[in-house]
Amino acid sequence: MTHPISGLFKNLATALFILLCVTSFAQEISTDAGVIKEGETLFNANCKACHRIDQKLIGPALAGVYDRAPSLDWIKNFVRNSSKVIASGDEYANKIFAENGKMMMTSFTSFSDDQIMAIMAYVENETNKPAEVVATTTAAGGGEGGAGAGVPTSYLNAILIGMIVILLLLLVILGLIINGLKRYLDQKDLTEEDREVVHSPITLSTIVQSRGFIFIVVFIVASVSFKTVIDGLYSIGVQQGYAPKQPIAFSHKVHAGQYEIDCKYCHTGAIKGRSANIPSPNICMNCHTQIRSGTNTGESEIAKIVAAVETNRPIEWVRVHNLPDLAYFNHSQHVNVGGIECQTCHGPIEEMDVVKQYSLLTMGWCIDCHRKTDVNAKGNAYYDNLRELHNNKAMKVEDIGGLECAKCHY
Amino acid sequence: MQLLKTVLIVTAGAALLTGCTAGGDYPGLEYAPNMYHSVAYEPLTQITDESAGTWVNSLDNGRGEYFNSNKYNPNMMNMRAPAPYTVKRNKYGWLPYRIGKDSLDYASTIKSPLDSTAAIIADGKALYAVYCNHCHGPKGEGDGKVAMGVKVDGVDKGMVAGVANLQGNAYLNMTEGHIFHVITWGRNLMQPHGSQISPEDRWKIAKYVKTLQKK
Repeated sequence: MTHPISGLFKNLATALFILLCVTSFAQEISTDAGVIKEGETLFNANCKACHRIDQKLIGPALAGVYDRAPSLDWIKNFVRNSSKVIASGDEYANKIFAENGKMMMTSFTSFSDDQIMAIMAYVENETNKPAEVVATTTAAGGGEGGAGAGVPTSYLNAILIGMIVILLLLLVILGLIINGLKRYLDQKDLTEEDREVVHSPITLSTIVQSRGFIFIVVFIVASVSFKTVIDGLYSIGVQQGYAPKQPIAFSHKVHAGQYEIDCKYCHTGAIKGRSANIPSPNICMNCHTQIRSGTNTGESEIAKIVAAVETNRPIEWVRVHNLPDLAYFNHSQHVNVGGIECQTCHGPIEEMDVVKQYSLLTMGWCIDCHRKTDVNAKGNAYYDNLRELHNNKAMKVEDIGGLECAKCHY
Repeated sequence: MQLLKTVLIVTAGAALLTGCTAGGDYPGLEYAPNMYHSVAYEPLTQITDESAGTWVNSLDNGRGEYFNSNKYNPNMMNMRAPAPYTVKRNKYGWLPYRIGKDSLDYASTIKSPLDSTAAIIADGKALYAVYCNHCHGPKGEGDGKVAMGVKVDGVDKGMVAGVANLQGNAYLNMTEGHIFHVITWGRNLMQPHGSQISPEDRWKIAKYVKTLQKK
């Protein structure tokens, strides 16, 4: 005979056992909106850099990963310490490791089971989303791009040329009408007064041959020539506008303009030394180990950097700014101490596909700036005594010896 | 007629002088070229043609005035890498960082030699803006323009995938030593930045990243 209480206990124990089994072995991915939302936040903060749902990035596309992977527990272990799972000789782990370029996944040791399951909930929700939603969004994006492009300039040019042609035609037609009218009036008997109006003594040839006209023409030609001569003479030794073709069609517009990479990231010398420096190819490779195709020039130009690195041959960039040997200039003094923006001297570099010398780089140009610019003395102990000497008033570069010959020429 | 001739001559002269102006591949006419071209080796200039500028020669060394490259260096460059095992001196007297790339765990235990003063963190912020912003983003969320990619006139430009979100769970507990080590050597897809950023600046950036993570 069994005790009724022990039977109850047995039933309870069985129920508890089944409950435990369900939670630990056959854990379901939640479809709760709150959990999905939490998963989305976690996914965006931790996974998005390397994973997308339906696209391979650094890591594989995650759509359906919960069905693909050996088990949910496997996923949890892999997320927390992928290298350990791979080292244990797990077959599936080693397979995907090899498939994805043997790139070790970052270990997210701090993730709890619930957090990983929330991410899975988000992934499942995204996987099961109907594909057409994606299609419509891309279509909308495309339409926006088309509308943003506006009227091409070639159309405007064509319209302008058309209008000029029409105006010229009108001029010819009007001339013909005048001639016709003159001939018609000549056939009629006109008074002396009217005849003078029709055949004016002041004709085009009398104007052209008049002294006044000749003087004006000569004056204009002479002054234009004089200005060109003076400008030409002043441009000797000035390389403003020099924009040589470089061995690699590097575009500052793409790098500094569109991607907003700081000038000093590549031109590391600008804050440290005399020369701003041309970056060595290893700095290019910081990004171009991954980006192998540019939208402007395709793969050909980036391949040149890779070739230079592989063959250890220097890239022979053409120097754009050739300050004469007789003048000393130091970037760090201007950029680091003075806090001057690169664009002040180099112009809108972030808009240039091909770099050109923007400023004159003449002595007059240097001096002009030294006369106008305040010394950036704030917070710089080096200038404390000088500031005291100048009664703590703002000093121009000129005031502290910025015009001394030997500052730049020695 | 005499007048017309004068006008013509002046115009021709002006046209000739316009040829002195720089533009495109032409650097323009140089005034006193001897003063422009350095006799000493210029690190960022390289003229390998020995006969360049023979017409203004002032030196009697059998080479043109413009020649400026070092025949004894590889590829006739004027620059050279420092001799092996040269130690760069710095104001702190720090020795070079010699912990290998694989020793990240050990590197993580190294304490920053810098104090957490406001000035150092401000320096770190400025350096972060120069060296890290375009990938890791202003807040370290891995959302810089290079990482996210940009769209110009409806065309997608390339992006660098796999940029770490420094505010993500995997990175919140990393130490300054860890950050310093990764900047120096790179990790996963991040390439080494040790050649670009001095050790002092790397420590400053590491300190700023920790400050950023607390925000």
